Amino acid sequence: MKKKLYLAVMVALAGAVSSEAGSAVDTFNNPVGEIGKQKQPDLFSGSVGAIGGSATAAPQAAQTAPVAAPAPLAAPVAVPAPQAAQPAQAVAPAAPAENKVAEASAAPKKLWSYQPVKSPVQPTVNNKSWVRTPIDAFVLAPLEAKGLTPSPDADRAAYIRRATIDAWGVIPTPEEVASFVNDSAPDAYEKLADRLLSSTKFGERQARRWLDLARYADSAGFQGDQTRPNFWRYRDYVIKAFNDDKPYSQFIQEQVAGDEILPDKQEGIIATGFLAGFPDNSNSRDLVQRKYQIATDMTDTVGKVVLGQTVECARCHNHKFDKISQKDYFSLQSFFANVSAVDNIPVAKKGALEHKYDEQWAKWEAATKDIRDKQAAILAPYQEKGIKYHKERYLTDSRESIFKPKEQWNAHDRWVNHRLANVTSETDVASYLRDASENKDNPDYSTDIALKAAQYKELTDELVKWNDLKPVFGASTISGVSELGHADAPPSYVFFGGDHERKLEEVQPAFPEAITDEKPVITPTEFSSGRRTALAKWLTSDTNPLTARVYVNRIWEQYFGRGIVETVSDFGKAGQKPVNPELLDYLADSFVKNGWSVKKLHREILLSGVYRQSSGYREDVAKADPENKLLAVFPRKRLEAEEIRDSLLVASGQLEDKVGGPSVFPPVPANLGASPAQWKVSKDKKDHNRRSLYIFTRRSVPYPLLSTFDMATAQEAHSKRDVTTTPLQSLALLNSDVVLGWSQSLAGRVINEAGNDESAQLDKLYQILFSRKASDSEKETLLKFLNSHEKSVREKITDGKFAISIPTGLKENQKLDPIRAAAFVDLVHTVANSNEFIYRF
Amino acid sequence: MNDKARRDFLIKSGLGAGGLALSGLLPGGGFINASFASDLIAGADPLTPKQPHFPGKVKSVIWLHQDGAPSTIDFFDYKPELIKLHGQEVPASFLKGIKTSTQGGVGKLFASNRTWKQYGQSGAWFSDLVPNIAQHADKITFLKSSVTVGATHDISILKLNTGGLNPGRPSLGAWIQYALGTANPDLPAYVVLYNGNREPTGGSINWSSGFLPAVYQGTAFRPGDSPILHLDRPELIAAAQQSENLDLLKQLNNKVNSAYPNDSELQARGRAYDLAARMQVTAPEAVDLSKETAATKELYGLNDDATKSYGTTLLRARRLVERGVRFIQVVTGPQDINGTSRNWDAHQDLEENHGKHAKTVDKPIAGLLADLQSRGLLDSTLVVWTSEFGRTSYGQSGTGRDHNPWGYTQWFAGGGFKAGYTHGATDEIGLQVADKSLAVDTYDVHATVLNQLGLDHLKLIYQYQGRSERPTVVYGKVIKELIS
Repeated sequence: MKKKLYLAVMVALAGAVSSEAGSAVDTFNNPVGEIGKQKQPDLFSGSVGAIGGSATAAPQAAQTAPVAAPAPLAAPVAVPAPQAAQPAQAVAPAAPAENKVAEASAAPKKLWSYQPVKSPVQPTVNNKSWVRTPIDAFVLAPLEAKGLTPSPDADRAAYIRRATIDAWGVIPTPEEVASFVNDSAPDAYEKLADRLLSSTKFGERQARRWLDLARYADSAGFQGDQTRPNFWRYRDYVIKAFNDDKPYSQFIQEQVAGDEILPDKQEGIIATGFLAGFPDNSNSRDLVQRKYQIATDMTDTVGKVVLGQTVECARCHNHKFDKISQKDYFSLQSFFANVSAVDNIPVAKKGALEHKYDEQWAKWEAATKDIRDKQAAILAPYQEKGIKYHKERYLTDSRESIFKPKEQWNAHDRWVNHRLANVTSETDVASYLRDASENKDNPDYSTDIALKAAQYKELTDELVKWNDLKPVFGASTISGVSELGHADAPPSYVFFGGDHERKLEEVQPAFPEAITDEKPVITPTEFSSGRRTALAKWLTSDTNPLTARVYVNRIWEQYFGRGIVETVSDFGKAGQKPVNPELLDYLADSFVKNGWSVKKLHREILLSGVYRQSSGYREDVAKADPENKLLAVFPRKRLEAEEIRDSLLVASGQLEDKVGGPSVFPPVPANLGASPAQWKVSKDKKDHNRRSLYIFTRRSVPYPLLSTFDMATAQEAHSKRDVTTTPLQSLALLNSDVVLGWSQSLAGRVINEAGNDESAQLDKLYQILFSRKASDSEKETLLKFLNSHEKSVREKITDGKFAISIPTGLKENQKLDPIRAAAFVDLVHTVANSNEFIYRF
Repeated sequence: MNDKARRDFLIKSGLGAGGLALSGLLPGGGFINASFASDLIAGADPLTPKQPHFPGKVKSVIWLHQDGAPSTIDFFDYKPELIKLHGQEVPASFLKGIKTSTQGGVGKLFASNRTWKQYGQSGAWFSDLVPNIAQHADKITFLKSSVTVGATHDISILKLNTGGLNPGRPSLGAWIQYALGTANPDLPAYVVLYNGNREPTGGSINWSSGFLPAVYQGTAFRPGDSPILHLDRPELIAAAQQSENLDLLKQLNNKVNSAYPNDSELQARGRAYDLAARMQVTAPEAVDLSKETAATKELYGLNDDATKSYGTTLLRARRLVERGVRFIQVVTGPQDINGTSRNWDAHQDLEENHGKHAKTVDKPIAGLLADLQSRGLLDSTLVVWTSEFGRTSYGQSGTGRDHNPWGYTQWFAGGGFKAGYTHGATDEIGLQVADKSLAVDTYDVHATVLNQLGLDHLKLIYQYQGRSERPTVVYGKVIKELIS
């Protein structure tokens, strides 16, 4: 880990310093803040801003000194003016015919998604006995209108496989299947749903999809792609939130404004990892641009993920067809104007992990003290010059803030200087030494310096040799966002063409006018602007028309492969309209009425008749509803990347079932070409078999086995898993040593559990992978394969190496014909490659 | 997509009206929604060859990214005035309108120790660093008024490859693969080659499919005999064994698939295994140089340690062109410069750095141009010599140059570009584009490259989150002067 030169930069955490009456806190020289020392006012008890109220609070404006007048516009040679939308771009998606009527009647009013969520009356249906939950009535009514009947229930085994994969992200065990299939209790399905929802595996699976949206990664991205050693704490926060059934409203509030509303709780800061997870390049020389890009990322992420609005479309110019204006966009962005990312807040209470980390770090420090002291001694005389040299390398407008005396800093300067401090390290002083040793124009240039630079480099090489002693991963700090103890925020402007060097009118924090008349009521605290609290409050207000609709639709998409609104992150003008608006509103309305309980939402879907249907092919439905929009048949689905890998781990009995903790590095193919610094395979082999969401997410090195199956990319909020079918996927499942290893383990497990009877073995294999026994004709096929396949295995051993793949993990007293056993491994490996395993039906 | 656009897409994607039926329009099946191209891929083969918007001039593009940004005023952009002013402060007039990154003025003007000569009918200038490329002066179209955004490699490389200043947009090759599919079903249409054993910094970000489906991302061909991850059978499995396994797999899948008639996504999985089996043969063969003649190898510099590695990469690139790969992105690797591993990024030791890097690429690139021509491939192949930005005419650290996004040179060869032509110019010291109306941004380069493939960058659309995205974001124009 890079030791920060500027230790004092460790941000005075709001909670600890807010007691310092009145004055803004000196962010840079105060001791590090601690969590849990200060009670904060409850910012959530106040009323939501009055609708149409004129009391638009803009308390910051008066306190904030404007930043320096906009610099004269440089000729923007490199930034061509944005072009008007091309014809093809202006094309709005064709509305499905059935929605045309609704659209016409709603036309003079707001866009459908900006209108309040209704409490639709449950429709009357003929086939009342099919209705298990209100959801079913909403699904059945349009089916009956079309003269379609729903499909019969899936058999219990198919249902539990489906439900376990959807809720947990892994296949069920044969025991779990048997116990459900044989459960004659009338509430067998309810018991199953409750069991699924109460397992920590539920939180892991749901977290994975949320992390997609949070563009979660363990590294910063861009070319440097530095490790973020403690972002896993945010991942664990998300898992826990789902497992605790934290109300979604609270979940959002904490992620958007946790540092303001829960400053005395570690969880509050960790939650803001949602905002702090932006891709970053620490070597940017344009800190003003970086500030803009970071605020842009946060705005776009919140807009897309929470509100389902692709607000960024309005960043460059107003769109003829879009409701969100450029002013709306920058007003929204101004909620984030004062936000800085912080990475070095000490954990409130160190646990075993942190102690271990500290101990290991201390060992490294002790072992390298001599080297580092020598280095420090070499650099000492150049400290000041080195830092100055580094500062001079920033672009003009960054330098305006950097070289301004601290007393004169405004909020913008404060942000820039905090950023500078965060990205400045010893190596920057060392760079100066190097320059002075090579550059004849450098005033310090001398042969003596060249000698020192050479010594310094030698010491650096020496230091690298001790890297193995460093703690492998994790840190005793946390990352999140903070407003650095200051309530005054820099002013925000509309930027012409989205270019931050071309300021237009100043804007205040405001919600998009197209969506709401509500005005933010912003109450600054002593340590923060309070802006994001106001935003979070509005986002999670029971009357927000979007937040609940967008979330329930995401969950629906997880279960049925397609959202009620197909464009899951675009509920705007350009997005699709809901195929079943009443169902969407029913779900959103009851979600809010149920206290934003995520588990209750899942439970109702799991127990619905529509989810229980068979996925079997039906000619009548294929004709009447070819895209199956009405869900008369349950839609089968390719397992997601993580579901494939994790299910193989479960099947092979290799899953290391441990929740949370620092991310891990399983082996990668030898020819991947990732450097050891980027991908250092975990020493503990158990770490190779953790669930996929614990695999280190390095933005520049996506884990190949997952990446090939359409894993989320961590560059920006990832809304929907694509399903592509490629030969590279086939190669991975056929040829990966890892997958072959799992097949060997699975073969061993089958033999251990089923004994030597091959028919029993095949049943066991099918029970593990498919939750059912093998049919007679399947057994016939498979046994025939074994018999003929023995021959080619036998030929294989004549290659001189006598190397074949045999089952692993066998009980000691197993007596096996190695040839037959190797053929069996191939059989297992092949069955695991088949469609029935890779899909859930 | 409206009805017309959808029709256009379907026609383009070769599905046509009748073809629609095959794309998994069944309940319980794929989620085909014809208004979203992305959803079509679930059932149909996403790499099916598709027709361009208009007949293209080229079949393949070789994108030679010079990673780290070479100083083009030391290769192609001859500036006698700079030599004259060497050691002096930069006259203020030259710095007008640019934001520099150095407090209290930039370094003094710096002329490197080069000799310059004119070559060919065109009389283009080349320095002594690139004597081999110089021999092909009349094949080259110089763009001496390149501009871009960004002061750091991160941002500008992203922009060069994807058009975005932040990660998340598809790279140019991904757009091409999305638009045209693959001409060779046994190979990906978008391949990335890199010089050296390590992935370039930033890794797959450089060839990402961004918001396009992952199937369109670049496939990195790794150094060595086995270019694709997981291409080789595990040692414990013999070829005959694997082939029997695949037969069994087919039987197992057929049983499931028969319960879902017309489910093209399930069937596509079967085809993917067939293709995978063929790829195990075709991919190693595509990069196997053993059948190349000694003369060809010599042409690419395979007989010299300095040029062997990059030459191998370029020879592979030519073989991929012959096999119908549409976009081949070749990234230069680092070299050992005074004890540290560095790319073209010569903030110091320009002489050593550029001397070494130029030696590495000069002969192989010249060899590639000659080879493409002698095989009659140069007209249908576009070679682009490109970098994230150039370097300043003022010095840095006494021996190097800083980044220059305000005026630098890139060049093109073949592919219907105007050979022997130079477009635009920098000022007398080579710092900024002289006539700003001739400035050409990366977006314009992308638009022009797409144009040569028969693609209109304004009509190459992907619906993403309700927005019609195109490769050139909201910018870009085809630079007609560059093409013949």
